[in-house]
Order: sequence, then structure tokens, then C-alpha cells
Amino acid sequence: MHIHAYEKLWLAASVLLILFLLGSVTYGAVGPGVAMVSDSEPAIDAGALDEDDRFSEPRVEQVGENEYAAYVVARQFGFQPDPIVVPANSTVTFYVTSADVIHGFEVAGTNANTMVVPGEVSEITVETDGPAEYGIVCNEYCGAAHHAMEGKLEVVSQSAYEERASGGDGE
Amino acid sequence: MGRNETAHASAEDVGGETEEFDPIGTLTLIAIYFAILVVSWVYIYYIEFLGRDLVIVG
Amino acid sequence: MSEAIEGDRTFADKFPEEARVVRAALLGSFLALTLGAVFGIIQTLHRTGVFRGLISSTDYYTSLTAHGVFLALSFTTFFLVGLFTWAVVRSLDRPVIDIRITWTWYGLMAAGMTMTGISILAGFVNELDMSADVLFTFYAPLQAHPMFYAGLAVFIVGSWIAGADYFRTWLAWKRENPDERIPLQTFMVLTTMAMWYIASSAVAASVLIFLLPWSLGLIDQVNPTLTRTLFWFFGHPVVYFWLMPAYLLWYTVLPKIAGGRLFSDPLARVVFVLFLLLSTPVGIHHQYLDPGIAEGFKFISMTNTMFLLLPSLLTAFTVVASVEYGARQRGGTGLLGWLTDLPWRDPAFTGMMLAGLMFAAGGFSGMVNAGMNINYMIHNTIWVPGHFHLTVGTAVALTFMAATYWLWPQITNKPIYSRAIGLVQVVVWFVGMALMSNAMHAQGILGVPRRTAEPEYSGFDYPTMFGGFEELNIQIAIGGTLLFVSTVLFIGNLVLTMGNPKISGLAEELPPALSGPDDAPRVLDNLRLWVGIAVTLVVLAYALPLAAIINRGGLLGPGVGTFPVWLTPVLDALANGAAAVVGGVVDASASLAEVVG
Repeated sequence: MHIHAYEKLWLAASVLLILFLLGSVTYGAVGPGVAMVSDSEPAIDAGALDEDDRFSEPRVEQVGENEYAAYVVARQFGFQPDPIVVPANSTVTFYVTSADVIHGFEVAGTNANTMVVPGEVSEITVETDGPAEYGIVCNEYCGAAHHAMEGKLEVVSQSAYEERASGGDGE
Repeated sequence: MGRNETAHASAEDVGGETEEFDPIGTLTLIAIYFAILVVSWVYIYYIEFLGRDLVIVG
Repeated sequence: MSEAIEGDRTFADKFPEEARVVRAALLGSFLALTLGAVFGIIQTLHRTGVFRGLISSTDYYTSLTAHGVFLALSFTTFFLVGLFTWAVVRSLDRPVIDIRITWTWYGLMAAGMTMTGISILAGFVNELDMSADVLFTFYAPLQAHPMFYAGLAVFIVGSWIAGADYFRTWLAWKRENPDERIPLQTFMVLTTMAMWYIASSAVAASVLIFLLPWSLGLIDQVNPTLTRTLFWFFGHPVVYFWLMPAYLLWYTVLPKIAGGRLFSDPLARVVFVLFLLLSTPVGIHHQYLDPGIAEGFKFISMTNTMFLLLPSLLTAFTVVASVEYGARQRGGTGLLGWLTDLPWRDPAFTGMMLAGLMFAAGGFSGMVNAGMNINYMIHNTIWVPGHFHLTVGTAVALTFMAATYWLWPQITNKPIYSRAIGLVQVVVWFVGMALMSNAMHAQGILGVPRRTAEPEYSGFDYPTMFGGFEELNIQIAIGGTLLFVSTVLFIGNLVLTMGNPKISGLAEELPPALSGPDDAPRVLDNLRLWVGIAVTLVVLAYALPLAAIINRGGLLGPGVGTFPVWLTPVLDALANGAAAVVGGVVDASASLAEVVG
């Protein structure tokens, strides 16, 4: 089979490009440590969230030194808790599940983004920087008022967080 | 007229021409494309993506 | 009849029966294009906030479902079966085995799409308890009216019979020509249809085993991850199903229009074999951000996806080299000076070249989509529709429209009404899409979601980059409007063409490749072998993920409800209730679901 020399050159360059792309993604995983949402959490009964320890009362709680867990329920057409308040410069793990249909959980303009599938729990961990406010949008069509489904993520200073927590806000 | 294009493609019909034609213009264009792809990827992956807030680490 | 005169006969002269089918398929395709374009302009103006007076934001999703299904399934597939019928019959130079079978698949596909179309459009009529506002992806547990799923099943079965029609016609030709290589166009058709059988088997299984029985109330619930995975098993190869006819045109028609011939027949075959092998075991890359699927499966899918770049990158070289050859035959010189010696006034040529250029840009955003972890940045943002409006929305759609300017005279004996309008049309499409798609990509990076009637939110503002959200909205609206204008020009030109008288002398021959099929190893034509490997790769890529998904959630899912979009009471309750009364709404819909079930 005859292949022109230039075409062979291009074939080699193409393979190099592909390896470079795969290498970049691998670097992202091992260097900065970007992890994928995966099957780390067991399946859950979407119809019985009110009997679940974590999701009957969606909330943020401290689970370790400077480590926090946010239990979030997405449902037509909102997120609970709203707003989600977490302390600055901490490690926050979001556990997000759906009470009804498939939703999305996207902290707009950031890399925090996951599908939310009924019967499954999406687990994503982020490290917060300084105080900031972000919008949360549902980025998967979920029904007639999908466009109204939004929430808020507030990253507040450690002291403000403790003040809110002790203020009985619960969130 | 032949029954189909296979019949057309006899050796004498195309013979030799393959060696004569070097698509140097194509090679140039595609090299430019390659450069654009690499530069764009480096920007979008290493600067835009890894530089954003709330990188997922677990 | 002398050979010279025979050479002057068009496809319509030689195969009048088949030409009728091709015309019917193309007209079906253009009807879908027209409907899709109408919904497209409504959505562009609604979403960007320029004009929201025509439909409510709830009906936006009816429109979006119609836009997706009519364009992505109906427009593309009807054009494909028309083009493939032409390509098989032309390249084998023999009629189909039995024209009644050909009309049967056409009838089934048309009936199926009509059923699905009615179920979608009924969503605009509040008096009808029928709706299918589930978008092109129909993710459970959102549930459409049963007719939506039934129509899809009939449509797919029709496409299977079309594939069988092509294979049987080829086998008959093979008996008549035992020692000949498969003509290139037929080879492309057969590999594409083989891929289609593998890919569509999963969505057919999903519809027939789960979704249709569930919508009829025969089963209570389905596993959302399973049906979603089966959709994407089909949902990625389907994009190559759209693209392969465009490739067929780029490989076999574009070089001729450019004044040259295909650079390499063997490489064209290699490319189509690679698509057959690699198109399907990649669907999980649409589910990078799904919970319930292990990271390892996602990584394997990414590796396959990245290598799927290879056939497209090879195509870029081969097609451009073929065009360069044409330009040099026309007297072109210099490193790049030959570019000015191409038939840029020909809408078929310019349209296909601009489509290819857009595809090169789409290649970049596709690489980003394929990159597993960078998906966090753009997943389900409007970046993604920005990407596929470059690929299916331009590489495919613009190639189809451009090719129509060349093909339509061949199947009707009528010259195009105005080639000048055609030229304006393809350029307007290019400009419109450049504006719209670029702004969509930029908004995606800001985090603006796809698939929403109102992308502006009350609680926050998007970060300001690339000119910002509002300015990008204007670009999207202008771009979308230009695309609508371009479609109107295309359809108008075609309607006026139909009024033209039939003339003779329109016949065009397709020249053989520079490096012909005799250069290609015989093994390339061994379709059994390639199908066998393709199936093996699919099993390797999907057996474990599917087993794991079923193991986790069960065949029918881990306690997930049913959320019909096709009962207006539920729809209204959901719309009015919004977030405030979520609990009550869930109870209400659950009880309603019980009534239905």
C-alpha cells in the first residue's frame, strides 16, 4: 500500500498530538491531582432520602480538622441547602444526590461540576481559597422550570463560618 | 465507459502520477493547523482549566 | 446506444426508480431542516433574551426537543439514506434488488419520524395530554408519551432495512463481479451501516426493553444510569453516522468539483475502517461526570476517543491534498498560491470547503470535550452545543446543503435555480455559525449552561471575560439569525429549482483516485473481519461498565420514581410549584404516576 511521505509525516505528528493530549490529562490527574467523580459512593434509594442520615437534612458539617462535608439534595427545581455556606481555605467534600430526575450541579465559572443522578451520590472534593460567592446552576434539563433552578455557594471566612454555625442557622 | 470506478482505476490510468505529485501546500496548511491546535490546547488546559477556582481533588 | 451518449446520462436517466427514492429522502430531509430552522431561530432569540414573546419558557423545551430530534435525527438520517442509495447504485452501476423494499424502509422511517414528531409538537397544545419534552437525549426518569419512543423504534427499524438493502445490492453485484474490489463509495456506505447496526442496537434495546414498556406502565421504574449509558453507547457513534456521509462527499465528490481526483483510495478505506472500529467504544466520554461509573472505565473511553481523532486528522490531509491536486491541474502554483485557483464561485465547492474549515475548528473543541478531567470546565455548558454546531451543524449540514447544489441536478435533470444565491447562502451560513459558535464556546467557559430557556440567574452574575455574557448573547442572536436566513435562501433556491424545466447535459462523472483501490491491501475489503473486531472492542469497552451499572442499581434502578412530562396536570404543577413547594410536588407527581401506572 502506497502512502505518500508527507502523509506518513502527518500520521506521525497526529499520533504525537494524541499522546500529548493523553499526557496532559494524565498530568492533570497526577500533578495537580484532579480526580474524577466516580463510583466511590454506594447507590441510594432516591425515594427514601428523608430516611437517610445524610440527606434527610441537607447541610454542611465539619468532619475533620479543616475538613467539611456538604450534603446536597437537588430536586425539581432547587438545591438544598441554599445557600451552601463553607469556610475559606478548607477542604470541602460535596455529596450531591437527586430526589427525582437527573440534574446537574455546577458552581458557575469554576471546575466544580457534576451530574446528579437519582439513585447515585456524586462525591467531589474541592479546596476553597479566600471568601467568595458563587452561583450554582442545574446544567441538565430537568423539567418545565429547569431555568429557575439555581443555588448559591458562599465561601466565608473561618470566623464568619463559626459565627453562623453557632448562630443556630444550621447551615 | 466502464461499469464502475474500479474498472477505471487501471494501472496505466493513474500510473506514475502518484510519485510526481507532492502536496507541499497541504503539508504547509496542516502544519499551521497543528501549531494552532497545540498552542490552543496548552492555553485551555494548563492556563484556563488548571487555573480556575475549586479544582476537584477527590 | 453509443458509449459517449451513455456517459452523458445522469443518475436520473440511468436509474429513474432509485432517483425517485433519493429525491423523496432528500425532500424529507429538507422538510426536517425547515422545521428545525424555525425552532432554531425561536430558541436563539428566546435564550438570548432578545425576543421572548413567541413561546413561554416552558414551551422552550418543546421547541428544543423538536430542534434536536428534527435536525440531529431526521434531517441527517434522511439525507444519509438518500445519499447512500445514490452512492451504492451509482458506484455499483446497478439498480437495487427490489425497489419495493427500498420504498418500505423509506415508508417506515417516515412513519416513525412522523409519530415521534407529532408526540413532540403536541407539547405546544395544552388541550392535548401528549408531550415529549425530554430533549434529544430522553434521559429517564423524565418520561415522554409512549408514541415518542414507539416512533423512534419504527424509525430505527426502517434504517436497519435500508442498511440491509445496501448490503443485499452489494452482494448481488459481488456475484456478478466476483473478483472486483468494492467500489469506494459502496465501501463507505457498508462500513458506515455496519457501524450503525452496532451502535443503534443499544438504543433500540433501551427503548424496547425499558423505556417503551415503562411509558406504557408495564414496568414501574427504570435505571437512569443504565438507560443513559445505553443512549450514549449509541449517542457518540451517531455523530459519526452524521459525519460519514459528509466524508463520503469530501472524499469522492469534492476532489472532482475542485478539478482533480482523490489523493488516495486506500487511505480513504483505512479511515472508514477506523471509524467502524473506534466510533462505538467511546460513548462513556459523554459520562465523564456521571456518578456510579468508575474512573478507570472513563479513562479507557478517553483513550479510545483520542485515537478516534486519527481518522479525522488523516482525512484533513487526504482531502486537502486532493483539492490541492485539483488546483494544480487548473494551473495553480506556489506554496499556497494554488488556493486562488480553485472554483470558489461554485457553491458546492465553497460550501464544502467552508464546512471542512469549520470542522477543523470543531476538532479543537472536540479535543477539549474528549479530555477527561478538563470536562469539569465545560461539561453541560453551552460550549458543548457550540462544539456540535461546528461539527454536525456545519461540517455535516453545510456539506449536505453544498452537495445538494451538485447532486440535485443529477437526480432530477433540473439545473439549480441560482448558483449565485447558493454561494451567498453557504457564506452566510459560515459567517452566522462563526459568530454563534464562537460566542457559545466563550459563554461555556464563563459557566453558562446549555439547554436552558433563560440562562441568566437572579442570584449571581457570570464572570466577565471574552466581552461578557450580554455581549456574547448578542453575537449568538446575530449568528442564529444569519443561520436562519441562510436556511431560507437554501430552501427557497431549491423550491425555485423544482420549477425549472428538465434539461440534458447535466451528467457528471466521478474520476478514480490518484492512488487507486488496487493499491489497497485486500484485507481492507474484508468486512466480516472488521465487524468482528469492532464488536470485540465494543464488548471490551462496555461489558464491565454495563455489568457494574446493573450490579449497582439493578436492571430497573435503585428506587427511582417516574416523572412523565406528558400529563399536563403534572407539568402545570411542576411549573407553578417551583422550588417553594418541592415536597408537595414530589408527592403529587408520585401519586399521579401511580394513577398512570
